[in-house]
Formats: sequence, C-alpha cells, structure tokens
Amino acid sequence: MASLKLEHIKKVYDKNVVAVHDFNLEIQDKEFIVFVGPSGCGKSTTLRMIAGLEDISGGTLTIGDRVVNDVEPKDRDIAMVFQNYALYPHITVYENMAFSLRLRKMSNEEVHRRVCQAAEILGITEYLARKPKNLSGGQRQRVAIGRAIVREPQVFLMDEPLSNLDAKLRNQMRAEIILLRKRIDTTFIYVTHDQTEAMTLGDRIVIMKDGYIQQVGTPQEVFEAPRNLFVAGFIGSPQMNFLKAKLVKEAGGKYSAQLYGLSVPLDEEKCAKLAAKNVGSQDVTLGIRPEHTQLVFDQTANTIEGTLRVNEMMGSELHLHVDLVDGTSVILRIPTLDLTEAQRAGLTYGSKLRFTFPEKVTHLFDPKSEESLLF
Amino acid sequence: MTNNANVAAGQQKLRSKKGHERRINGTIYTVLVVMSIVWLVPFVFLVLQSFRSYKLEKGGMVDYLLPKHFSLDNYAFLFEGSNFFSWLGKALIVGLIVAAVSAVLIHACGKLLDKGEESRGRRIALIGGSLLVGFVALTALTAAMQGFVLAGSWVKVLLSLLLFVLAGWIMARVYLKQDSKLLRSIPGYVVEDRHEGLKKFVAMLAEFLVLGIIVQFILAPMTMSQYVRWYINTLTIALFTAVLQTAIVLSVSYALSRLRFKGRKLIMNAVLVLGLFPGFLTMITLYFLLKQLGLTQAGAVPGLILIYCASSGMGYYISKGFFDTIPKSLDESARIDGATRFQVFLKIIMPLAKPIVIYTILMAFMAPWGDYVFASYVAFGHQNGYNVAVGLYNWVNTNDFQNYFTRFCAGGVLVAVPITALFLALQKYYVEGVTGGAVKG
Repeated sequence: MASLKLEHIKKVYDKNVVAVHDFNLEIQDKEFIVFVGPSGCGKSTTLRMIAGLEDISGGTLTIGDRVVNDVEPKDRDIAMVFQNYALYPHITVYENMAFSLRLRKMSNEEVHRRVCQAAEILGITEYLARKPKNLSGGQRQRVAIGRAIVREPQVFLMDEPLSNLDAKLRNQMRAEIILLRKRIDTTFIYVTHDQTEAMTLGDRIVIMKDGYIQQVGTPQEVFEAPRNLFVAGFIGSPQMNFLKAKLVKEAGGKYSAQLYGLSVPLDEEKCAKLAAKNVGSQDVTLGIRPEHTQLVFDQTANTIEGTLRVNEMMGSELHLHVDLVDGTSVILRIPTLDLTEAQRAGLTYGSKLRFTFPEKVTHLFDPKSEESLLF
Repeated sequence: MTNNANVAAGQQKLRSKKGHERRINGTIYTVLVVMSIVWLVPFVFLVLQSFRSYKLEKGGMVDYLLPKHFSLDNYAFLFEGSNFFSWLGKALIVGLIVAAVSAVLIHACGKLLDKGEESRGRRIALIGGSLLVGFVALTALTAAMQGFVLAGSWVKVLLSLLLFVLAGWIMARVYLKQDSKLLRSIPGYVVEDRHEGLKKFVAMLAEFLVLGIIVQFILAPMTMSQYVRWYINTLTIALFTAVLQTAIVLSVSYALSRLRFKGRKLIMNAVLVLGLFPGFLTMITLYFLLKQLGLTQAGAVPGLILIYCASSGMGYYISKGFFDTIPKSLDESARIDGATRFQVFLKIIMPLAKPIVIYTILMAFMAPWGDYVFASYVAFGHQNGYNVAVGLYNWVNTNDFQNYFTRFCAGGVLVAVPITALFLALQKYYVEGVTGGAVKG
C-alpha cells in the first residue's frame, strides 16, 4: 500500500523516438488507476517504467516516500501481471506462486500459508500441483494474479491482463478483479485498451494518446465532461456522434447552436461557462452520444432528418446508422421498448427518419484545437 | 459407363503412383544400406581386431577379417601394471557407504526438522552436525580401507574436507527442497512428490558415488599403466572443458540474447567473422604462449584445457538462438518477483533450455575427447601428458607396428564406448538442441 507520484516522466527511445511526454500524475494510496488508450499511446511503456523494466529517460518516479528511478524492479516492492501470463512453465502452480516468496527467504510455513490463502481467494486450490501447460486460459490468468498477490506488494500492476481471454471469460474475470480489489485493498495500476474495462474497474481513468495524457478523471467525469474530441470519441460505445454546427452568441449572455436548420438554445450552465471564457460566435463541433438521441415520428417537431443505412438489432436496443443530408454518418441508440411494432417495421434501409436530442447532453468542441469549449 | 471408366483410370493412376513411390523408396533404402555398410565395416573390423589375441596370432595387420582366436589379451594389456579394477571396486564401495550414511543422516535431519519449529539456527546446527559426523565417518572409512594414515599429509586432509563440504551441500540441497510435511498437505501433490523424491534419491546416490571415486582418487592414487594414464588425461581434459566451456557459452549467449548494451551487434558480427578462421592458424603462437607459462609437455593437461576453453564464447550462436525463443516476459516476471539476473538465468532460463544445455555439454565434451592435433603438439613427446588419441597413434607409429595394431584397436574401442553411450542416452536432447536453435535466430 503506497501512493505513487509521477513527475515529468519521459521515455525516449534511440534518442529521437519519444514514447511518453511529460507524464504527471499523483496516485493515491489504495486507488485503482486505469491507463487506457489505443495501441502505441505509451500506456504500457509508462507501466513498465513504474515496474522498472524500462529505464526512465527523464522526470522522477516516487513510490511511497522513495524515489525509485534507479531502483531494480525486485527492490521496488511491486507485483505485475502480464498479458501473456508469463508463468514459469517448468514448475507447478504451487511453485510458481511460491517463487517470489522463496527468493525472499521466507520460511516454508509462511510460504505455504500465503500460497494456500491466495489459491483459496482465486479458487485454484485444486490445480496447485499442476504445471501451467495443463491449465486453461482463465486458470492461467488466475495463477498469474495469484503469483502477484502472495507477495502482498505495495503496488499492483496489471498489463492488459484480460486481453488474451475470450469475451465471456473476460467479463467474468473483470467482475472477479472488482471483487479481488475489495479483498486486497492496495494500490492498483491497470493498463487496457478496452474502454469498458476502464470504466468498470477504475477509480480514476488516465486516457492517453501518442504519449500525452488527454484527461484524468473518474469514469463519470470523463464520460460526462470529456476534455477534447479524442476523449469524447474514445469513451462510450458506440462512439459519440460529431456534427458540424455554428455557435451563435445572442443578447443577454445566451448561446445557441445551429445545425441542419435547427436552432438549439443551450442551457444556462453551458452559457455561463461559454460566457466566462468569452467565446464569440464561431464554428463548433457538436457532440451527441448515440444513447441520448430520440426518434421523432411527429412531422412538426424541431428535428434533424436523415436516411437510414443500417439497422442493427441488439436485443434491448436498436443501433441505427443514419446519413444526414451532407453525408455525415450518425449512430442512434434507441431502446426497443420505446417503439411500437409498426414503427419498428418502418425502420428499413433507405427510409427517412427524424431525430432530436435534449440540449442538456450536448458537448461543444473547437473544430481547430479539438478542445472542449466547456472547460 | 464413362463414370466407371473414369474410376478405373483413376485407380490405375493411383496404382502407378504407388508403384513409383515404392521404386523411389527402394532406391533410397538400397543406397542407405550400402552407405551404412561402407561406414560400418571399418568399425566392425576394428572391433573384431581388438579381440584377436596378440600373443597367439600376429599383433599386426593380417590378411583375414575374422580372428582365429578370440581373447581379451589386448584389453588385459591396456590395464597391465595398473591396479585399476581393485581401485575402482574400493572407490565404489566407499561411495556407496558414503551415500548410505548420508541418506540416513538426511532422513534423520528431515524427521527432526519436521517435528520442531523450522528456525534457521536449528537447521544450520543440524546440517552442520551431520556434516561433522559424516566427515569423521568418511575419513575413518577411507583410512581403514586403504591402510592410509592421514596425519602424513595436510593437503590431502584439506582436500577431503573440501570434498565433504561439497557432499554436505548436496545433502542440504536435497533436504531443503523436499519440504515433505508441507507438500503432503496439498491435495494431488503426494504422488508427484514421491516420484520426484525417488528421482532425487537416485540422483543423490549417483552424486555420492562420483564423490567417493574422487575422494579415492585423491586419498589413494592408483598405479597407472600407460593407457590408463592417457585415458584419465583425456577424461580430465574433456570433463573440465565441458563444464567450463558450457558455462562460458551459455552465459555469453544469455547476455547477447537478453542484455542490450553498446556494441552488442558489433561483437556478434566480429565474432562471426573471427569464427571463419580455423583455430589451427594460432597453433604456433599458442604453443609459445603455453611454453612461457610452463603448460606444455608435463603441464599438457591444464594447458589443453586452457586451449579448448579459450575461444569457447564464440560458439554462442546456437544457444543464443534458443534463448531468443524463450519469451522475455518470463525474465521480466522473475525480475519483478525478486530475482537477480543471475537467479533468472539459473532458475528460469536454464531449466527451460535443457536441450540446448545438454547439446552444449555434449559438443564441449566431444571436441577434446577426440582431438589429436592440439594434444599432440602441446604434449610434444612427453608420454605422461598424452591423451588417448596421441598415445595410441604413437603405439602404431613409433613402436613395433606389426605388434601393436590389435592393442591399438582395443584402445580405440574403449574410447568409443563412453561417447557412444552418451549419444544414445542423450540423442533426444541432441536433436532438440540442434533444431531448437534454428527456430529463430
């Protein structure tokens, strides 16, 4: 259990390839932090620097009260779970889990107690005498986690631990990690490229792209108030729709957005934020999440019209891919129960439909800087 | 109708194809059989000659293949004037007694430790105590058996003490790994543990036998015939070279495979180019260097070990290729688990690289075992420094050729035995090693 402090952490390969730029983050004791981002964004590199498997090119890394930049991995008191499990194939599960304890010259009783306890927690007691090659993927992953928890480390690092599992097992293991976290209350740093894992597991999420931190915040924060276009598009599934719009400043500090012949007055909170930043009338990118759209069958309403291209039936909801007049593609997520049989039957390829959205849930981004206008 | 005709045509085609295959296979097998006859005949001839009595028939070349009198004359000659067999018998008995005493001690240790608290102090005290008892027992036994008085030679006492520390290490290792009580409480562990335990016990017995022989070798040297001396020279050189060269090759390969340091590529390429030059080019320089160090003639054995180990790091290529196939995340995981680089190498990589380790040992053992060129010029006329190849050659070259040929054959057969046995026992690993390195590299 320890807090971590990363100050201006930098990773440079071969003198000119920069993998991580100026990474600043304070991680609280017992916090569950998730690094998320597309591949090549530097999240794994950052994790490996924390683990000590990669040299830190610049900045300071502090675990607890100790600067560990030049400390060997074995002396950092961390444990790590690897994507490919990295179990030692030549020894049994028991010995795999006991390996680190034996290296620390722990007494046999203590080793035995800890291994059995960890095996109990993870439900792998009956496999203790097997070799890793005789285990399934999920069991191997459990052993890998078990090998890390017997150590009772200060910081627990996980590098995409679920990405080698099939979808069903992944969901199950995700739930187990949440439970595990409740049992062994320590600091977690978890790397993933899957936004669902990030949202469900993390106390705070660090979203990265091209070696830069894009946003740090709770799952709620990054979902509701994305700082830029990238975060808005990365978090949430299906991804947020982006529409070209014009922001119009009106008298009395009021703002409205105009798009496709529709004028949407913005709510007071947004107007206040925009006014505080002294934003004038300008082009904006308007972001709307697919689940915040509503189909409108009443012709008179204030709506946007489009042509239906794809109708994906997901069971409880429909994903409608709609082309607008200027060719922009939009996805609508409509609960199946909201529609009558007749309305659903009408949603066929090429049919015209109208939709709207509550102004409260819109996001505004500057098209040039791609930053949110609401910060 | 046409359908049937098609089927018939197809079948005929198939049949002719089969016939074709059979013809090709027949040819291949004929060629192989002829080749193996060509290769094997000289060996069969050699073995047959080694059983031809040199006392009853001529000892030299004759114009018939099958000996008229089969006898072990030639082999007896090789050991003439040496107490080799009685010496070996005594050594084995010493080894067995040491093994038995140690097994009892280990068992007692285990029982005592299982009962009480497992504190470090107790453990050390127990192992130390059993070491002491064992040492006294061992020296007394050897002394009694040989009628040998220890007081005469401090060096020998020290040496045997050193050996017994080694024995104690083996003992401690076997016990500490056993963890009998703890392992038994894990479901499903017992059966495997018993098997492993048996294997460990057999390995321990073998280790103690070897130890007994070494103790015997130092405490009570045997009188050697020429051939036995050459044989022991060869064995010493080959064993030392095998151990040293394997250690060097494996560590160089591991370093080149895992560490990223400046000039790594340069070293690898330079070594590859250097390796293209035959080692014989350095012969004269090497001779003078060794001469300055006093490692020729009488010092030929250590001198040769030095020569064979000298450039062994250059043979890193195959094992590096094998190490490259072992995932790096295993190293990383072990390092996070608390292992140093050396522990990673020893505890993770070595067990996984077993085929390549055995392959390296085999290769390192073979080269000095059959070497003639280096051995002949380093020993340079000093009979006690010969290895078997040089010694045997001298028999047929300088001695009476007509008399020594059958004895030469017998010597050759004895040299071939251990290497053949090694290959038969380890061929599985050998093939794995040769092909394993080629997967990636």
